[in-house]
Amino acid sequence: MQSATAHAHETLGHDSHGDHAHHHDVSFIRKYVFSTDHKVIAKQFMLASLFFLFVGGLFALLIRWQLAFPGEAIPLIGNILPDTWVSDGAVTANFYTQLLTLHGTVMIFYVIIPLAVGMFGNFCIPLMIGTDDMALPRLNMYSFWLVPPAGLIMLTGFFFDSGAAAAGWTGYPPLGPSSGAGQTTWLISLFLIGFSSIMGATNYMATILNKRAKGLEMFQMPLTIWALFITAILIVLGTPVLAAAISMQLADQYLHTSFFMPDNLLIGAPDNSLLTGSFVQKGNELLEHKQLLGGGGQPILWQHLFWFYSHPAVYIMILPGMGIVSDVLATFARKPLYGYKAMIFAIMAIGFLGFIVWGHHMFQSGMNPLLGTTFMLSTIVIAVPSAIKIFNWLGTIWRGNIRFTSANMNALAFIATFIIGGLSGVFMASAPVDIYIHDTYFIVAHIHYVLFGGALFAIFSGIYYWFPKMYGKMLNESLGRKHFYWSFIFFNLTFYPMHLLGVGGHMRRIYNPYIYEFLQQYQPLNQFITVAAIILGFSQFILIFNILWSLKYGKKAPRNPWQANSLEWAAPAHPGHGNFDTDIQVYRGPYEFSHPDRETDFYPQWEKPKDEPQGDEKAVPETKEHSQSA
Amino acid sequence: MSFDFSKAMEWAYKDMLTFFPENVSTFGGELDSLFAMVYYASVAIFFITYSILIAFIIMYRHQEGRKAYYYHGNNLAEFTWTLLPTFLFAGIGLVSDDAWTKSKYSQRVPNPDVTIDVMGFQSGFGWQFRYPGPDGVFGNKVRNQISSANPFGIDSNDVHGKDDLVIISPGGARPVEAHLPINKNVLVNLSSNDVLHSFFLPNFRVKQDAVPGQWIKVWFNGTKAGRYEIACAELCGSGHYNMRGLLIMDSHQDYDVWLDQQYKLQKPVLSAPVSDSSAVAAVASDTTTTKN
Repeated sequence: MQSATAHAHETLGHDSHGDHAHHHDVSFIRKYVFSTDHKVIAKQFMLASLFFLFVGGLFALLIRWQLAFPGEAIPLIGNILPDTWVSDGAVTANFYTQLLTLHGTVMIFYVIIPLAVGMFGNFCIPLMIGTDDMALPRLNMYSFWLVPPAGLIMLTGFFFDSGAAAAGWTGYPPLGPSSGAGQTTWLISLFLIGFSSIMGATNYMATILNKRAKGLEMFQMPLTIWALFITAILIVLGTPVLAAAISMQLADQYLHTSFFMPDNLLIGAPDNSLLTGSFVQKGNELLEHKQLLGGGGQPILWQHLFWFYSHPAVYIMILPGMGIVSDVLATFARKPLYGYKAMIFAIMAIGFLGFIVWGHHMFQSGMNPLLGTTFMLSTIVIAVPSAIKIFNWLGTIWRGNIRFTSANMNALAFIATFIIGGLSGVFMASAPVDIYIHDTYFIVAHIHYVLFGGALFAIFSGIYYWFPKMYGKMLNESLGRKHFYWSFIFFNLTFYPMHLLGVGGHMRRIYNPYIYEFLQQYQPLNQFITVAAIILGFSQFILIFNILWSLKYGKKAPRNPWQANSLEWAAPAHPGHGNFDTDIQVYRGPYEFSHPDRETDFYPQWEKPKDEPQGDEKAVPETKEHSQSA
Repeated sequence: MSFDFSKAMEWAYKDMLTFFPENVSTFGGELDSLFAMVYYASVAIFFITYSILIAFIIMYRHQEGRKAYYYHGNNLAEFTWTLLPTFLFAGIGLVSDDAWTKSKYSQRVPNPDVTIDVMGFQSGFGWQFRYPGPDGVFGNKVRNQISSANPFGIDSNDVHGKDDLVIISPGGARPVEAHLPINKNVLVNLSSNDVLHSFFLPNFRVKQDAVPGQWIKVWFNGTKAGRYEIACAELCGSGHYNMRGLLIMDSHQDYDVWLDQQYKLQKPVLSAPVSDSSAVAAVASDTTTTKN
């Protein structure tokens, strides 16, 4: 076993595969499939979620095609899709509703959350706190292996006669429970993925609290870890509420309870054919079902329960990204993160306030408008910590020495789009302004600026940043830049005009907007958006190609390719099971870049101070002061 | 399939505020100017932060031999950029609240000149309107009398209910046409009998979800005669897009003429099967067990 000092000078270019790492003889299945190694699980999350990213992206493009060219055959695939989905090659209204439902659900629950939390949580936490693995590796494995079956269960809905879930990603009752088997698969799928989230989050908290390397204090952890820690708390507090709400909706659907169903509803039997208008023929069944549903339930109760989870879920999706961006920016600006503690307190504030703003999704829901005033004020307050973060990021690049790697460009793009997404959020935070723009494309624009422009650009940034440590190969920078430019330009061309449509009054989730006279004039704009969206979608193949190409032909990664400070870069270039080949002792915070007393512009957390005698732990408090002067 | 790029660009260059459809309600202007206020504040913040971001990216781009400034932050700066947005955003919240309470609080609904009931429905997708009839009084609503033939659940024992006027979609692709007078406070009691809908009048800046089991008060006062579209803004099934209705705002005289016409055409809601061709009426003939 090497000593900590011997390790310090071999930070670059040493690819010893961790002699100290455990070399079990494990079967292929245990090593690559049912592995308990956090890095393998992270890669599994990445592969599964990138698969779902393309599934959800395909749904989006089908939706966009219909909005731009309603009733016209989908190019290439229109005529090979089954008749239950398309008629004359064009998407049917019923299929369109399923597509918009599953686009939202897949992107949120199977792409952004597993990438931001599952992938980066698993990969970064043990490495960045300097430990060998998660506290509960087996639980970790279970948390991944719930994801593929959960996702596939939901997608099976497309092969039912009545189709997949079609009540929107919000699944509002009475529409939700009164629709068919597709909705059931949707509910079961979310229930399972919720379990996966809770298992992962419990594990993250246990690991961060118990397994930090020697000398690593909470306030010396990188922002990524802080963000994931707060995210894990949000998941553990919020997800059980969603699970409860899902159980109640399942009970309403099958056990004839009435949590969400008022009495005397004129809803037909749970059969999607009803929703397409064959109501008349179903007269007798209709009455029968009406009696079954009699109950005195409250549809708005679902909305409260759903948004009590799903608003914090927005922060579950964006907080890890904020952490990643903080680390990437500091590393490539070669500057300490501006206001380290203020950044952490801002994350905590967002996490706390995130639980008391859910009602802003319900301003027009029929909830008591007095609550609207309350939720408007709390929502407006949550803009403050977000603003603090923006200013601190700007402070971080101020007087830096910024390197424009693909990772950093995506991080800067995150800031740029998050500013727009944050500002458009202020519109809908103001309850009276929300009256008009609620449920229009303005909301669609906002959520995509925050979740695509925000979360996904941060995820791209993280992928470019940590790929060398994941696979021991560098990603190709020139392809990375191409992917960035195409994505950034066409992202904005796709989603910015949606604000304009929203102000024009264009509703969300409508199959054919041109039924309305006041929307007919917007068809050219919708076509413009669709063309941009198609290019945006296809640009993502550059990323996939880059990953595949670099795995085969990529430059071998050195141990610390970005000359960063945090602990993952102390591990071998392609760490094996057990991660580190040295004992990790932490001496300072993660952002000691461009320290005036040093020749190099970085000062890794694990590097022993020169003038201190070996093994003297008193060195810690003194260096700590630098990192905490914020 | 045709894609007119130049037409798309015409739209893309226009200022966001020009996209609003014409406002024809009394409080709509107030809501629009609140939007404009937030918009101008956002544009200002956008230009300030983007100039800083772009300036820093250019000024502090990587140069060999330069070392970044070793600096961890400054508490005074943190306080400043915490307090400034707090005041700005709190200001937006406080300014907003009056418009919010005016348009939504039931205590602040002005005395109505006209009161109607509106219900969204999913069986064929559209809206139903109920006027109080010549006696000016609505019949009582009783939940257990709700049926496809009597969607409002008008009490068959209430004499005021006999003359209530119900306007439904004429069927086919033709949208329902409801009439209301201009320069009058209109109170809409909104509900639904199946799933959630959202009663959206783009030109009046009115939007309110219709919730089954609950009657919600919505009010507006139209300022200009004309023909305006009614839309549904809450996903209610695959026919959600097809819930278009028309709201005709008449002068007071025209409105009275229209009402009289309707009263003459009116077939009592509570008597046996209506021979109308609409989807709802068709259901009525199917459901013979309606308690009457």
